[in-house]
Amino acid sequence: MTEFSAVYYDGRTSARTPVRVRALDHSLHLVGAELNIEVPFADVRVDARVGDTRRILSLPGGAQLHTDDHAALAALFPRANRLEAWVHELERRWGYALAALMLIAGAAWWSVTLGLPVVAKWVADFVPIDIEGRLGAETLYALDKSLCTRSALGADRQQALQKLLGTLTSGLNDRYPYHLEFRACGAVGPNAFALPGGAIVVTDALIKLAQNDPQIAAVLAHEIGHVRRRHGLRLALQSAGAAALIAALAGDAVSITGLAVILPTALLQNGYSREFENEADADAFRRLKAIGLSPKYFAEIMMRLEDYHAKSGGRQDGDTRDTATGKGALDYLSTHPATAERIARALANQ
Amino acid sequence: MDEPGRKEPHLGGNPYAYPTAERAAINVASAPAQADKHRSPVVFTASAGEYFRIWIVNLALTILTLGIYSAWAKVRKKRYFYSHTRIDDDGFEYRGNPVAILKGRIIAVILLAIYSFAGHFSPALKIVFVIFLAIAVPWLIVRSLAFNAFNSAYRNIRLHFGGTYGECFKVIVLYGLLTVISLGIGYPYLKAQLIRFAARNHHYGTTQFEIGSLTRSFYRTYLKAFGVLILSFIVLGITVAVLSFGLRVGNRGALPMGVGIPFAVAGYGGYLLLFAYLRARISNLTFNAITIGPVQFESTLRARDLAGLYVVNIVAIIATLGLATPWAVVRTLRYRAGKTILLVAGGLDSFVAGQARQVAATGEAVGEMFDFDIGL
Repeated sequence: MTEFSAVYYDGRTSARTPVRVRALDHSLHLVGAELNIEVPFADVRVDARVGDTRRILSLPGGAQLHTDDHAALAALFPRANRLEAWVHELERRWGYALAALMLIAGAAWWSVTLGLPVVAKWVADFVPIDIEGRLGAETLYALDKSLCTRSALGADRQQALQKLLGTLTSGLNDRYPYHLEFRACGAVGPNAFALPGGAIVVTDALIKLAQNDPQIAAVLAHEIGHVRRRHGLRLALQSAGAAALIAALAGDAVSITGLAVILPTALLQNGYSREFENEADADAFRRLKAIGLSPKYFAEIMMRLEDYHAKSGGRQDGDTRDTATGKGALDYLSTHPATAERIARALANQ
Repeated sequence: MDEPGRKEPHLGGNPYAYPTAERAAINVASAPAQADKHRSPVVFTASAGEYFRIWIVNLALTILTLGIYSAWAKVRKKRYFYSHTRIDDDGFEYRGNPVAILKGRIIAVILLAIYSFAGHFSPALKIVFVIFLAIAVPWLIVRSLAFNAFNSAYRNIRLHFGGTYGECFKVIVLYGLLTVISLGIGYPYLKAQLIRFAARNHHYGTTQFEIGSLTRSFYRTYLKAFGVLILSFIVLGITVAVLSFGLRVGNRGALPMGVGIPFAVAGYGGYLLLFAYLRARISNLTFNAITIGPVQFESTLRARDLAGLYVVNIVAIIATLGLATPWAVVRTLRYRAGKTILLVAGGLDSFVAGQARQVAATGEAVGEMFDFDIGL
């Protein structure tokens, strides 16, 4: 016959009454100071076990029994809370914890490398082009506020380059209103950015760095690839998704440190953008060939860019500190590790 | 503002558990004769290893069910921590219903989606949403406190939160605006009023919480923190100026890279210490001002302990890619519990249960998503 010790709380006051509980055929018999009651099993509800925490039995009328005698309860209520009892069995053993850990790591890896990009692409397809354009306009506004000023390029030159873009995008039939935005962005150096929605920002430094128009065309072809594949929007969505995912996994930790979320998100973003670069490169080679230019121009401008960054240490402010050179080149390489590879691919695609 | 101890219960006509005469006797006895009081420490008995297994298994189940199980996971975690928080060998009980929490979470996700999309598509829509939020926030806070109170029990007596929307709106929106208009000078007042609102509307059974005025002590605390902040800025500024001048003579240029690192560490460490100081002080001041019938508190958190705890937690969590999270949570809770003692006149046996109504979980779940910090 099962018997166990418990504390009885009547639910009306906070007084505690230690009791001895004896299991009869169809009921529990509680005996304590000034207490002697019998409760049918059918009226007793036992809570699900969590760790080795104290168990609570709810009795009719709002009273409770609290006990640490898990064995007695297991014997008396073998079928209670089957689902949560199963969860408890999983929580009890380190083996299952290890299995859970592996499952989480696998799921995180899968969703970050495969799931998120697919979902982001799917979501991006629902965003109309004019809304993408508005996002792009906002980004341009932010650039103008922080890094860039008016271009010093002559109107004739600007028009010629717009025409070059027109040649590159003719026959694409993708409804993007492609156009160039010329800017002088001192600290950025020679560069071009594809904004969501069809605008492509080109810095004066890039125009200066290029030896001929086909080299500029190569860069533009690459940026067109970014626009068409909605890389800007997708990158933003992927990063947001990754941040949400990490926050969900870290759960309790978020309140302790925001850093734990930011750090891996930044690292992931780096990885994502590398993949997008390769996609845009492949597009560029195809585009260039379509209008009768060789992808070797892409290789040439990439080499010039790399030269530029190696020489100036990534800086453009006339500061020729030799101590900074090593750091600058390293910096550049860490975000563009595959430049040599990209050049090789362009040459192979001639 | 309100004087402590002189307030009659005012919300919902909830009668005080103790007859007035008895209460007066307690009040008279409490002030001079601390020695009469029984000291009951809050004991936290959770183990990091056990919680780690609960945490990771529930996380895996949440992933496998695409998030649906998260409500059950939350209830299990809360039940674990509540039960391991003990006073006089009796643990707390969490009674939250996972289905209610799941419903709340679904609503919260929908709201969050609307919010983030509204901003991208039209700034005007975002403004509308912010106004909507200003109206909704007091409601969310009240609901969230009510849900949590309703589902928390000790010795089979529930807590109960009786705060009203109107009162919460007044604190949040009115004092919130006051804080903005006064350029932050009103912030300690806002914080004090918010905590007072949250505390004094709680009931344990029929016994309403009482809380003394916090305004003056909060101002002292924030002023001190602000003073330290300004002082350290000045010291840091002078140091950087002196160093960069000294180095410029020798090295024809800006500061070498390495010099910045100690400053970054000092800055981050200082910020953490200040954060810990505010946490510890505000928490102590709040608990020490609360009276629940015959119960008072003695909270003695220390800023440097908390700061040390946070530093180790952050390092451990990053170094283990998050796996140390359960350990960090458990040790933080254990520290906090260990620094809290109940001073009880008589005993804990004479609280009386009240009637409580069912409360939906929406407020709590939405509040969780938008990360409201009520600071209690």
